[in-house]
Amino acid sequence: MLHSEIVIVGCGNPLFGDDGFGPAVIEEMEKQTLPDNVTIQDGGAGAPHFIFNFLNPEVTKKLIVVDIADFNAKPGSISKISGKDLKPGAYIDPHSWDGVDQLCRIRDQIDTTIVLCQPSRILKKGDEDVDMGLSEEVQKAIPKAIQVILTEIGVDYGTT
Amino acid sequence: MSKVVEISPTTRHEGHSKLVLKVNDAGIIETGNWCSITPVRGVEKLAVGKTPEQVPKIASRVCGICPIAHTLAATEAMEASIKCEIPKDALMLRHILQLANRLHSIALHDILILPDFYIPGTETKINPFTPEEPVRSVAKRIQRLREIGQTIGQIAGGDCIHPRNTRVGGMYRNVSEQAKIKMYDLAKEGLVLAHAQAEFMIAVIRAYHKRDFVDVGGMKVPLPKDLGFHDQGYLATHAFYGSSSLEENPSWNINRFKEARPWDWYMGEMTVDLEEPRYPIGGTTKVGTKVNPQMEACTGIPMYDGQPVEVGPRARLVTYKNFDEKGTQGQNVAREMEYQDCLYEMMDCIDLVNPMGKVIADYIPDGDGSLGWATNEAPRGCDAHIARVKDWKVQYFSMLVPTTWNFATCSAALKGAPWQLAEVIMRGYDPCVSCATHMIVLDEDNKVVAQKLIQ
Repeated sequence: MLHSEIVIVGCGNPLFGDDGFGPAVIEEMEKQTLPDNVTIQDGGAGAPHFIFNFLNPEVTKKLIVVDIADFNAKPGSISKISGKDLKPGAYIDPHSWDGVDQLCRIRDQIDTTIVLCQPSRILKKGDEDVDMGLSEEVQKAIPKAIQVILTEIGVDYGTT
Repeated sequence: MSKVVEISPTTRHEGHSKLVLKVNDAGIIETGNWCSITPVRGVEKLAVGKTPEQVPKIASRVCGICPIAHTLAATEAMEASIKCEIPKDALMLRHILQLANRLHSIALHDILILPDFYIPGTETKINPFTPEEPVRSVAKRIQRLREIGQTIGQIAGGDCIHPRNTRVGGMYRNVSEQAKIKMYDLAKEGLVLAHAQAEFMIAVIRAYHKRDFVDVGGMKVPLPKDLGFHDQGYLATHAFYGSSSLEENPSWNINRFKEARPWDWYMGEMTVDLEEPRYPIGGTTKVGTKVNPQMEACTGIPMYDGQPVEVGPRARLVTYKNFDEKGTQGQNVAREMEYQDCLYEMMDCIDLVNPMGKVIADYIPDGDGSLGWATNEAPRGCDAHIARVKDWKVQYFSMLVPTTWNFATCSAALKGAPWQLAEVIMRGYDPCVSCATHMIVLDEDNKVVAQKLIQ
């Protein structure tokens, strides 16, 4: 795997409504011309198992994770936090690993930023029936999230 | 007198499941129920009315671990229904993608089972994340094997997690000559590592099963020599890839498959009366808790020729390579033996790819409503998808995934083992419970008789 200096990963499952925000952002970014040192990746629901192979601390300088989270804001609001502010969870077992735990292990070697969107409906892990498609508010948040990501990686395509 | 103990949730696998075990005074399992408690998703219902291009993409999102197997099985079920044969080069790219998936999945399973085992010749259990040797080198080798699998998958499939190069009728694009060489070089590197990794794992697995006692949460548990034995049959449709209803002599027969309802199969309501706080992680379920596997299980019980069967690496090796080792040991050894087979086959497939060859069928029919099916030998076993497509719309779609096959078989294999080792037996199946949880049960006339929670 050719490692990149900058890796952007969209996490989530499009089968669960707004949880598909991360992959939707990546799908939109695929339409753009990005610098050669950037890799974008739809991590899907198994990101914690797969994305860490994209990272090589000797090459990778920056990791941006795109996901949804409940931070008590208006649906569609975008927020970003640094990996340094993440709190490690308890290790249970590698297959049930929370991605946050893994991000905490690499944050000292790779500058990590998490770009988050407030979903319109709070999803509880593992208890949802399938419901495809993003809510209107979260759909509208995609350009904003991309702008935040591009600023983060120092790309300026002007105002859109 | 029998007692009931429950391990919930089970750990070191994908999804949520639990073990409800009726044990005798010596702690030996008399009846074991392993059941999925991942909520039912109803993907099959969602697929109806979608285009054959959309459904494999939906199927690939069912689980985070097996998107490649589901994409391939769903795409080929569509092709089987519309009766579309794909060019040889497209098929080779799919084979490579599928084998790449198997490679990195075996490596992940190594990580998951290693904490059960001991460093040979010592009383030290293996922590795959320790910085100390010799485990550190093993962990690095596993990581490199996963990288190799993912990279080859990315080249052949367009993406290493949710492949986007596959399409109904073939593949979107062929690979370049340079890409072909790159895949070959990676496979060669992987072969050396896989050889070493399989040798290490098989030594560790065999050393474990030679022991008389093992430690589980500080308890000294006797290790039976027939751990995980069962008398169910095996089902495999290909040594490496799969089969489909388009073939002249398909290796899966939809008419030999039937499904039973969980409430006809699992134990009814009981009360937990054995509790062990030392059991990792966090102890077993508290005494007095009501359990009801009949009602809590979220999958049907698939049967082939009237009985549950085992699918997975051992089923493939038994069916196609005269492998004859039983039990959990045989299962784990078989998986390790697939490491090298997988890379040799991958190199053969890469050899056969012609970068100048076409990868899309000349004509892709819209479908006349015929029932078509395809199986894909996913890392965990036979993944069968069934579809009916008419006028480029999916009328019917069903996924019969590996772990669904294995639930009832593994439940039978638990009998006779100390309850503390039930999870060791379960992990031998490398379960992926999220995928397995789709409950549509058909009766003998293929009519839907149960659709739990997805009405």
